[in-house]
This record gives sequence, structure tokens and C-alpha cells, in this order.
Amino acid sequence: MSDLWQEAMDHAVGVAKKAGEIVRDALQNEMNIMCKSSSVDLVTKTDQKVEQLIIDSVKEKFPTHGFIGEESVAAGQSCLLTDNPTWIVDPVDGTTNFVHGYPFVAVSIGFAVNKMLEFGVVYSCIEDKMYTARRGKGAFCNGQPLQVSDQKDINQSIIATEFGSSRDPEVLDKIFSNMRKIVSLPVHGIRGSGSAAVNMCLVAAGCVEAYYEVGIHCWDIAAAAVIVTEAGGVLMDLEGGPLDLMSRRVLAANNKTIAERICKEIEVHPLVRDDAPIVTK
Amino acid sequence: MTSTDSDRWGECMDVAVQIARKAGKMVQEAVKQEKRVRSKSTPTDLVTEADHQVEELIISTLRERFPSHRFIGEESSAAGEKCILTDNPTWIIDPIDGTCNFVHSFPMVAVSIGFAVNKELELGVIYHCFDETLYTGRKGHGAFCNGVRLHVSKEKDVSKALILTEIGAKRDPHTLDIFLGNLKKLLSAPSHGVRIIGSSTLALCLLASGAAEGYYQYGLHCWDIAAAAVLIREAGGCVMDTTGGPLDLMSRRVVAAGSQEIADYIVQQLQPISYGRDDHDP
Repeated sequence: MSDLWQEAMDHAVGVAKKAGEIVRDALQNEMNIMCKSSSVDLVTKTDQKVEQLIIDSVKEKFPTHGFIGEESVAAGQSCLLTDNPTWIVDPVDGTTNFVHGYPFVAVSIGFAVNKMLEFGVVYSCIEDKMYTARRGKGAFCNGQPLQVSDQKDINQSIIATEFGSSRDPEVLDKIFSNMRKIVSLPVHGIRGSGSAAVNMCLVAAGCVEAYYEVGIHCWDIAAAAVIVTEAGGVLMDLEGGPLDLMSRRVLAANNKTIAERICKEIEVHPLVRDDAPIVTK
Repeated sequence: MTSTDSDRWGECMDVAVQIARKAGKMVQEAVKQEKRVRSKSTPTDLVTEADHQVEELIISTLRERFPSHRFIGEESSAAGEKCILTDNPTWIIDPIDGTCNFVHSFPMVAVSIGFAVNKELELGVIYHCFDETLYTGRKGHGAFCNGVRLHVSKEKDVSKALILTEIGAKRDPHTLDIFLGNLKKLLSAPSHGVRIIGSSTLALCLLASGAAEGYYQYGLHCWDIAAAAVLIREAGGCVMDTTGGPLDLMSRRVVAAGSQEIADYIVQQLQPISYGRDDHDP
């Protein structure tokens, strides 16, 4: 029986490659950098151009499919996940890195049907690493199979996390308090690439044991979530329980032992869900 | 500097490049094997057999070619060799920078070969083992990555800066207080962000290539900075002590930046963490 969604996945890989070229070209030129919610929450014309490229190509080939994209949502589109086949896209994950030419910038294309993630494509375009995973068919980077680390001892783990784009002192206090607990376990080290999608792919590749963050969005994690689980890893909500795509938080780990150990330390601070109703004044 | 000197260091550069590539291949092979890991000063300060083997390869090759030169190497120092920099031509070597990354196959691992004469850093060669990229810098001759000239970022405004750092080996509560406090201050400038990659040498290379604006660290060693300092200066940046004074190679601390303004800003925010000195008796 042929795979219903293989065509969609092949399309995702193709458009991710094209998007990656646009990103690499844009790095050579002057950038027009705009700010969203604050002076450290950046967006560029490239983010918008890449998202438009993906939307247009998906609409043409799969006109009935739904679309959740970072820039579309910023422009007022809905972030509600229905049963409809839906593309969940971050055109440029790691925009701050992109602006600096810091080499971890990813095009992230996830795909869900009946609210279940079916495949994920993350193209780390400066490194030219194409991460892919189809549910039930394994995870790969440039064709090589991915496997999480087999480490069970938290004291011998490397944990990835980010500081996020909030500079609110209260929020930062919470982020630093969590980080302090993790570093003090102790762990071998903390790392941060500046891209959620890349951090999750590092879990899938076995380079780090876990990645956690409070403050991400569904489009940052949808694609990489499939890559992590297909590489043998686990996903959890930081308050325990299964990953909630719209909850604004994520924990991806090589196994349940490491995941639960981290979950124990982290205190979550409340954030507006991605699927919260838009309050109009 | 006489023309003979410049020829002599040119030859040193060529040999360093050759041996860095060879050592890099050795590291690439070792990364695929089972690793025997031990700890050094703390449980997070790791060393493997590969560190020893690679350092042995580099030093024996250089010693054969330049029998009058001196050597300061990470693993030799750990074995008790003195870490004193004299006026003699001296090679300053980190066989595997990012040993923790190496153990985890986290793709940020480098071979670092620096060279000083009359206590002045003359050249640096750094091989990024996973990317297979070679960084080279010679005083007065520019800095390059795979032959492409490197330029630091000229950004002066910290609110548009990306800053890199590393934790260092100590994890006691007092050190963590200061480490996290420094980080929070720089993040809150507000800067664009702070990144930790697990290799001081490669973080400094990213600075030299213009991908980040500033770097600071307590707890690194002379062999982590010796090569990269040349790269950064030749790419137009500055390297100094965390107090704002001139770089003290043995002080186990550093600030580097693309611009003096960013360096000054970082220096002003920092609370110090003491790791002793490389040139003190253990």
C-alpha cells in the first residue's frame, strides 16, 4: 500500500531546499531587520519571503490543506490545529542567528493529519544538513539514519536549552533558576545553538541527551518532534504528560529516564498558548 | 623582523597546517570509536586517550622538524610539564578543544596550534574536525578560513550583539552564581543573545569570522586562546584581559570582541571567577 503522505513529504523536502537557497543568498546581502514583540524578537524580509514561497507551493499542489506559519500567524491568521491535513511551518528558525550569519538557521516544515504529526523536515541550511522523518519510517540526516544517545545517567549528559527572546526580568529570573538547577545536577554541559529545531535535531542525532525550552511556538517544534521520536527519543510536556504542541513549551530527550529527571527540576511559567483565542478589543 | 625570520615562521606555518590536518583526521576517526573517558580537575573536566595520542603526534612531529623549539601542551601540562612561556619559539597546543563535545559526538571539536616567539603570539592554526575547515592566522598576514579572508563584525552597539561564552570546569554554587550573574547581565543589556557551543577555540573562530560580536570566559587555558587570539587580531578584532588590560595568556580568562566598544561593555559587566594561573605550580 503506498504512503498517502509521501508525496507531501517529498514536496516538503523540495521546497525546504529552495528555501535554504534563498536564506543562503540573503546572507550575502544587506538585511532589513524588523522587530516584533521587542527589540530582540527579530524578523526579516527573508522570513516573510520564505513563508510565502512555502504557502504558495503548498496551495498549488495541495489546495485543500491547512497552513499554520509563523509569519501568517503574526499577520493575524489562525493557529488552530484541526483534523484537516495541516502544514506547520517556521520559514526561518533562528532569525537572530540568520541576522548575524551565525551558522544555525533552519527551515522547519511539519505536517499533521487528524492532529497527529505525520512527517517533519528540518533543513539546517548553512550547514547543509537535511533532517527528515516520516512516522514509522525512521529519522535521517542527509540520508544517514539518526539514533538518540543511550546515556541514562543525567550527570553524564549534555542538555540543550535557550534563553529566549524575553528580556523581562521576572521571566529571565525563572529561566535562569531552571538553568541553574540543571547545571548543578551536575551535567556535563549546557549548549544552545539558537534554533529550537536544530537543538531537537541534535537530540535525534545523539549529540545531546535532551533539549527543553519554555517560550517556543508550535512551528518551532512540529517538524523536529517527528525526527526525535523516529530516532528513538521521547517528547514530554515540562509539567509531565505528553507533548502539547500548542503549550509554548517542549522537552525532547533520548529516553524517559533523562526526560523525567529534567522534568523534575524545571518550573514552568505560564505563557499564552498558541491556540488561545485572539482577544479583540 | 628580518626576512630570515619571516621565512622561518612561514615554514612553521606550513608544518603547522600539515600536522593540524593530520591530527584532525585522527580525531575524526577517534570520534567514531568507543571512548575511554576520565576526569581531571572536576567531574566535568574530561580527557580521553585520543587527547594524549593526538598531542603526542603533534609534538613529536614538530619536535623532529624544529628541535630547538619549546612546547606547551594541554596533556603534557596535565602530566606535570611546566607551563612557562619563555622568549624561545614555543608551540602552544590543544590537541582536542571541546573534549566533552568529542565524547558526545557533538560536532564542535578542534585541533588548536599556536606559536609564540619572544612571548608574542605569531601564528595560529585551528582545524574544525567535523566541518573539516581550517582557520589560519599569521601576525601581519591576515586571518583565513579555508583560504577566505576573515573579518570581525564591526558592530559597536551591544543591543545588536551576539555574545558567546563557556561555563568552565567549576560547578560549585558560588562559581555558578557569578557565572549566571554575568550571563544574565549581558543578556539583559539587552543583547541579541548569548550562545554556548562547548569549544572556546571554535567560539573564538566564530567571532573572528564575524558571526558573533563578543566573547568572554573564565576557566580556559593558554592553549585555548593562543591560536585564536592571532586570528581575531588579524581579522580586525581585539583580545584582552577581563579587567580591560592587555591579554595575559596564562591568566585563565579572556575577553575578545570585534570592536573595542563591545569589549569595553563586556569588561564593565563582568564579576571575576578565579581559576588560578596556567604558569603557577599545581
